[in-house]
Amino acid sequence: MRINPIWRQESRAGARSFKLPLIILGFNSVLAVVALLYMYSMIAQVRLTAEIQYTSFLGLYSFVATMEFVLLLFIIPGLTAGAISGERERQTLDLMLTTKLKPSDIVLGKLAQGLSTVFLLIVSSFPILGLVFIYGGVTVADVGLLLLCYVVTAVLLGSAGLFCSAAMRRSTMATVAAYLVVVILNAGTLVVNYLAVGLGAITSSGGSAAGWPMYLLLWNPAATFQSLLSSQMGSESGLAPLFPQLERIAEMGLIGRYWRPASMAVQLLTAAAFLWGAVRKTKPAKQNGRRR
Amino acid sequence: MLRIENLKKVFGRTVALDGLNMTVEQGALYGFVGPNGAGKTTTIKTIIGLLAPDEGRVLVNDIDVAREPGRVMARIGYVPDAFGVYDNLKVSEYMEFFASCYGLTGLKARKRGQMLLEQVGLDDKADFYVEGLSRGMQQRLCLARALIHNPPVLIMDEPTAGLDPRTRYEFKEILKELQNQGKTILISSHILPELAEICTDIGVVDQGRMVFEGTMEEILAQINVASPLLISVSGSQKEALAILRDHPEVETITIRDEDIVVGFSGDKRDEGALLKQLVDAGVKVYGFVRERGNLESVFMQITDHSDEEVVLIHED
Repeated sequence: MRINPIWRQESRAGARSFKLPLIILGFNSVLAVVALLYMYSMIAQVRLTAEIQYTSFLGLYSFVATMEFVLLLFIIPGLTAGAISGERERQTLDLMLTTKLKPSDIVLGKLAQGLSTVFLLIVSSFPILGLVFIYGGVTVADVGLLLLCYVVTAVLLGSAGLFCSAAMRRSTMATVAAYLVVVILNAGTLVVNYLAVGLGAITSSGGSAAGWPMYLLLWNPAATFQSLLSSQMGSESGLAPLFPQLERIAEMGLIGRYWRPASMAVQLLTAAAFLWGAVRKTKPAKQNGRRR
Repeated sequence: MLRIENLKKVFGRTVALDGLNMTVEQGALYGFVGPNGAGKTTTIKTIIGLLAPDEGRVLVNDIDVAREPGRVMARIGYVPDAFGVYDNLKVSEYMEFFASCYGLTGLKARKRGQMLLEQVGLDDKADFYVEGLSRGMQQRLCLARALIHNPPVLIMDEPTAGLDPRTRYEFKEILKELQNQGKTILISSHILPELAEICTDIGVVDQGRMVFEGTMEEILAQINVASPLLISVSGSQKEALAILRDHPEVETITIRDEDIVVGFSGDKRDEGALLKQLVDAGVKVYGFVRERGNLESVFMQITDHSDEEVVLIHED
């Protein structure tokens, strides 16, 4: 099997860099501190009230999973936003484009490298997430679905970062643009929904339905994550206060019934579009209308 | 081997290439010269497929770069004027990485890499980090990288810019060796004496057009024509200057000490006629010789855009 040369080279160079262990250390330290503090507060509560509420232990899973998701939102764009613009700044992109590598090889190699780091972070955090298995209430299938949600989010945001990296000449601009895409996808779609609900309330007496803007949440990784967490832990968990609309998705018919797979499919298709755009932007300038 | 036909490229309002034609024969070491902004880098980037021409075409072994870039890339090695290196990558790994970019992996890639590092004199640096190499070593490494897939054509854009004389000399020797191996080399450079020493062919580009193209023999003949005549006369120069001013082949006249330096466009026969005319007019000529020229003087003459006219300058 032919391994993508870009991925192989980046992995080799990345493994020697101090950046990777630093990211893993920082990521897991934050998660571990959060998890241990949560456990400590629960145990302190048990000591105080002499009551053991096992449901509160499930909160640990919800809390750590949400924390991990938020950290990933911050980390993923940073991993890919400088990938292609960095090559351009280093003047190595031209060297690669004059080899037999296709622009798609370069883009996919960079994505693979970004995703490898994200997978490493997710897998390394499993022992912390696994704390919840001490008390039970969460199945391996639940954790598997959570992992799938993280992967889809990583693919979407990683691809968006790559597109920004290919479109912008400077890594700084590409990073800013990538985080802007994260904000638009996660907060922008939500704000549009709030506005739609607000307008609905003004224009019609009981109008709480968001209508078409609800479908915008299909692109929102946070909405997909919350929908998944709500199905596992109940509607009070994680980021639920931010997504009151998700309680109404059942009213949306077929898409509402299959909200999670539908949103993951939409996000993967969007990721594919971002990757296509990144390949187009990485290609050397093409001839328009040849005249002889 | 490499043919460029009527290449045109416009960036906004700037015409970078204006119908450039060029032919590089197999096994040639072709010096590609021109003033800054003449279109050298644009031409090179078009040859290697990084820029698409607005008109015209580039053929490498009769394969059109625009139509089959993949096939052309397999036949071309490219050494840019400026290039970056990867952090945390050793010299041998750098070679292996680019070998894998051409589909070469494993033992074959390692052996090829080692052989090329030996050829450019970096075999003892295989375990060094690339970023730690000197500029000259990095440039030699870049040359080795460009040869990793054993291309028949090598395209080099100002490869010796910023190198010290010793490294330039070593680089030149490597190029001669590569030419002896049968590689076709196109080298763009500003260091004209260096090109004159190693090149078999020269192309001078100016304002996006090829203004001179030929073998070194042809350009040496041009050098003789391009160099000024040095005429030494005893006594008054008045009579000589009067004849020179009226001569149709005389372009410039400069007085340098006791000599008259004449920009003269005529050939050897015209030189003889001029000398006879001066002697017949009673001018006591004791020196009449073409100043020794070089590639630089031809380049200056070809790319000089000031209107030429008969002038008389006294040099102190």
